[in-house]
Amino acid sequence: MFEECLKKVWPKVRRNHLFPQIPPPQLVESDEEVALEIKSKQMTINVNFLQLLSEKMSPEDALQALLDHGISHYMYCPWDFNTHLMLYSEAKKVLRDKRLAQKAASYFMDVVANTYCVKERETKIPELYRHLPKEGVQRVLALLYQVIWGIDLGVQGEEENIKRLSRIPYLEKRLWKESVKKFAKTIEEFLQKEMESEQKSHKKVQNPLGEHSLENYTLEEIDKGLREFASSVDDITEFRETVEDLKDELAAMGYTVGGMGRGAGNPIDADLLYYMKLAENYTLPVKKLPMEKSGALHPYSHSPWEIGKPVQDIDPWTSFGKIMPGLTQTWVRREGEVFGEMEKIPDCLIIIDSSGSMTNPRERLSYAVLGAACACNAYLKNGKKVAVYNFSDAFRGNKLILDFCKEKEPVYWAICRYFGGGTAIDLNDINYLLKQAEKPDIFIITDMQITNLEKLIDFFNSIENRVTAVHIGENIYAARFREGLKKKNNVSLFLVKDKEDIPKIVLGKVREYFASPF
Amino acid sequence: MKNPFEEFRSHTTRSKGKELPLDRILKAKEETLNQILKGYENLLKNEAKDLVWLMQYSTVIKAYSIAEEAIKGINYAAEDIEEFCYVLDKTDQVPYLITGPAGVYISALCNNAQEEEIVLRLQDVGIKINLLGYRLPEGKRLIIEGNVGDFTGISLEGGELIIEGSAKNYTGAGMKKGRIIVKQNVGFNTGHGMTGGEILVGGRIKGLGKVVGGKIYEKGQLVFPSDDYRPFYF
Amino acid sequence: MTLRDGYQDRVRRIYRFISENFYLNRPDLEVKGERYNSALLFGILTALYGGKELIIGEPGLGKTTSAEYISCLIYGIPLGVIWGSEVSGHPEQTEEKIVGRPDLGALNQGREVVVWSNFVQLPVKIVDEINRLPETKQSMILDGVDRGNWEYLNEMIINDEYALFATANYQDRGTNTIIAPLVDRFDVMVESRHPGPNLAFYIGRKSRFDNPLRHQEFEEKFHKLLRSQIPYREKLQRLEELSEGFRDYLKEKVGIETLSKEERFFIRKEMAQMPIDLDANAFMRMVLAELSFCHRYGQKRSVEACTEGCHYTGYLCYHVKNCASNRLPISVIGYSQALAWFLEDDEVDLEHVRTVLPFALAHRIQWRDSYISKKEGEGRNDPLQIYLAKEATEEIFHRYTEQRDYLLDALAIASRAFEGEAVEPLEGDHPIYEEIKKEIASLR
Repeated sequence: MFEECLKKVWPKVRRNHLFPQIPPPQLVESDEEVALEIKSKQMTINVNFLQLLSEKMSPEDALQALLDHGISHYMYCPWDFNTHLMLYSEAKKVLRDKRLAQKAASYFMDVVANTYCVKERETKIPELYRHLPKEGVQRVLALLYQVIWGIDLGVQGEEENIKRLSRIPYLEKRLWKESVKKFAKTIEEFLQKEMESEQKSHKKVQNPLGEHSLENYTLEEIDKGLREFASSVDDITEFRETVEDLKDELAAMGYTVGGMGRGAGNPIDADLLYYMKLAENYTLPVKKLPMEKSGALHPYSHSPWEIGKPVQDIDPWTSFGKIMPGLTQTWVRREGEVFGEMEKIPDCLIIIDSSGSMTNPRERLSYAVLGAACACNAYLKNGKKVAVYNFSDAFRGNKLILDFCKEKEPVYWAICRYFGGGTAIDLNDINYLLKQAEKPDIFIITDMQITNLEKLIDFFNSIENRVTAVHIGENIYAARFREGLKKKNNVSLFLVKDKEDIPKIVLGKVREYFASPF
Repeated sequence: MKNPFEEFRSHTTRSKGKELPLDRILKAKEETLNQILKGYENLLKNEAKDLVWLMQYSTVIKAYSIAEEAIKGINYAAEDIEEFCYVLDKTDQVPYLITGPAGVYISALCNNAQEEEIVLRLQDVGIKINLLGYRLPEGKRLIIEGNVGDFTGISLEGGELIIEGSAKNYTGAGMKKGRIIVKQNVGFNTGHGMTGGEILVGGRIKGLGKVVGGKIYEKGQLVFPSDDYRPFYF
Repeated sequence: MTLRDGYQDRVRRIYRFISENFYLNRPDLEVKGERYNSALLFGILTALYGGKELIIGEPGLGKTTSAEYISCLIYGIPLGVIWGSEVSGHPEQTEEKIVGRPDLGALNQGREVVVWSNFVQLPVKIVDEINRLPETKQSMILDGVDRGNWEYLNEMIINDEYALFATANYQDRGTNTIIAPLVDRFDVMVESRHPGPNLAFYIGRKSRFDNPLRHQEFEEKFHKLLRSQIPYREKLQRLEELSEGFRDYLKEKVGIETLSKEERFFIRKEMAQMPIDLDANAFMRMVLAELSFCHRYGQKRSVEACTEGCHYTGYLCYHVKNCASNRLPISVIGYSQALAWFLEDDEVDLEHVRTVLPFALAHRIQWRDSYISKKEGEGRNDPLQIYLAKEATEEIFHRYTEQRDYLLDALAIASRAFEGEAVEPLEGDHPIYEEIKKEIASLR
């Protein structure tokens, strides 16, 4: 019976919501006290729960309401994983507890989605709520709905926080960041009670309209969401905190720092993931096959033959077998343009300064690390290898040498390492690394306050590799560096006043290098 | 010339969707907030020309009376006061948040609110507002969640002021009666010129002012009047 | 008005028949709750609508095959005749091989008589590896199919119906590119994909020799008729008679009823009459606005780069280099109507447009490097161009859902303003509102 109902209701609901691209829902029998679940866009409706609802309302109305709710999560709130993360992160700032924040964000999304449907669509959601169990937080939400929708849902009583909750602009998307915080703060005590009740009964309180978790999204959506979230957060600590909270769930879904995969992967390092995702916003496209002249002439078009022109290119067909001016046609040949071979791109050595004067990338956003990450991505994407020399006081062992490799994760580990000590570079290490590849490009990012700067200048004067030096801030050392290398065409020096410019400078240089092979 | 929008001629405009009570609540909230902001702007025009305001006894009294005048006739609730604090904190437009006049204005709002108990959740407000709780009358209870600035609860007139965080200097200065509870720390010159009432500090008191009367407690211990601190006579 | 008359059912049978017997494939597209293979579906729509389709894919994955079978079954032409009419892309192709040549015997007698190629005579045209043709030949073919006119030696043939299928491999040594003005003329671009190892194995097991779509006798008759010198109009009638015979044979042999010329014309007329609902209409306008608008320079131009700091960086106009041509809405509307007809819907709605748009857009848009580089590493099932177009479609759709009612109101008010009412156009952040204002301002 429900199958028939669903077949009738689904097309109507889809049309109502402007045809979302989600698969048709499925009916399943389950003992859970949940009417609806959404996993990777697939909605499943619990037939047993539906059966119970059908005793109080028509099955068509029940189905329509459930589908309206599910679809509006997909189409409106949260819409994508980035928004989900943002809501969770903001709720966590107020509640300071992972599980509480998850609950708060989940209930907030429900309120927004339901209110959106009630306002913008002809929906049976209010009737559904009239018949759903109303205890704890669900009761508070039902009271809230009564106030903001102006519809009686059969809940009696008052709660003092309803007034505060009713003043939140749920349908103003640009205010969701503030709204979720106010919402979370206001229902905190109810969430606490719910948590306590779960702890006592050892049973999770289930949201009859489904939980909001990572399982709602596909791995591609999670990947994209993390990238957008990395760009949107104020600093790395916010990203780290959120990702650390969700580490287990991400790993269980097979999401690792290196990307997606099957089964549980390695534990995620949130800081690495942050720079990886942020660097994805600055990438260069993969270098395309260049067009080049084929070197072969081929017949391209016809032009009229005139006396005095050579006869070997006359086309007898188009000339109708006649050779006479005005009638005879001759072939015009042209060199074809074909796709050539990929020009050789060298490997890349990244030298990054992690002395005390540089930003600790695990505490605050380090544009130096981000710039290095951009270079790394660009070379790895084109199938080249990257080596890393991360130094502070190298002679005291504060250094990290990563040999040329093609894997992203170890390169990022090396770039993100922070020593925070003095600043001295061991040129033997650089020499060693340069010997491991054929004339690699060098990117060095530093504030130039290097104790053995003169030796470094001499060293760069002696090599022919392309060197891009990015230094942060103007100082006498940078001036000395510039002076010492001004005659070297293969060395480019960039002063960066605004650290935000580092990734663009690095990318610009990489683009130049890729366009003009060495 | 052909009308390129011809097909939409028959579409009836309904861009706002169904109107819900939520819309009315938010609209009323917006209107109230605008009125409150206007009142504050008015106060600044009169009292803080060039955005400079000198903290003096007379300027505070004058500012308070202008503030009371400005909020007359506005129908607001405790939540509106809180909203006003947030809006001031977030905005980079006129009217700006100048903590002195803002504190006086908020105090006027609190003192004249319909509710007997007002809770202001200011944990997320970046700036610590001065002069909150100014002249809180008897029968009123003001609870502030978060930290506050200088001159908190000065000239308290019998109300109960509870600060869930810390306060800065001159807390309770000149208070006549009532009660101030600060859950965490307070700064210097606490209770300066105080003639009656109680100040209970759950954390540390950096320094007392020239206290005339009343009682001051630090972590449950009476610190004024005590052997170390005797009443001051101006 | 319902347009259900049984033809849809026939076309669907043809789809299933090809899918189960000749072009084994995996569905990769879902529309109105049904799953289809995009290459096959759009191929059938192209043949019915009379469009131009560019089929890309790896060598040997059925690009040409799909076009051949569709052409055979929709147009009722034996497969051998289709094979004989194909133009293959290589640099030495000449007009004489593509369009026609002089009858040499007649020429020696001093008479100009044109021997037209099968390619121009038949309504359905297949060009294999079009990107290997020089630009002039590509242009010649596309011009001819655009207008339906073919000229040679001052003689002309006018096709009264025509559809073009062109295949292209991905870039490799020895291939040219199809330049932008030419690729813009294709209505849609689809990928012919690998069917998966299990279906691929099954394909390998099928016999190459007993193809029911071949019929020696009919093929000979077709070739003879096409070679003959009777006037083209008469030839078309006789081709249709032969086609009828072949259709009867197909009905008997494989149980498939194909379409006559009259039926195809009728279908096209029905498709053209398919109304477009307001959502589809408004959404399409929104798309066109984002792909043609430039706040700074008046419109998008491929020679003018978008600058930083523009207010509209959140819209597609920031991410594309070129301006959408007027062929885009023609293709989208035409194919959407075709799709709606195929699905037996009453009108073209948002879902039809959203399904068709990526395939009509993919080959027409030049993306900025920054947009490509962000998305090229993402997991996907489509080639990059089609994937980018799908992503762009979804982005615009999301914006549409957020401001749908307001946009419809804006368009309604614009309509009234255009008719002289003293109303002000609505303001909004999206380029479409600026464009509406421009329209009304130009009137005033």
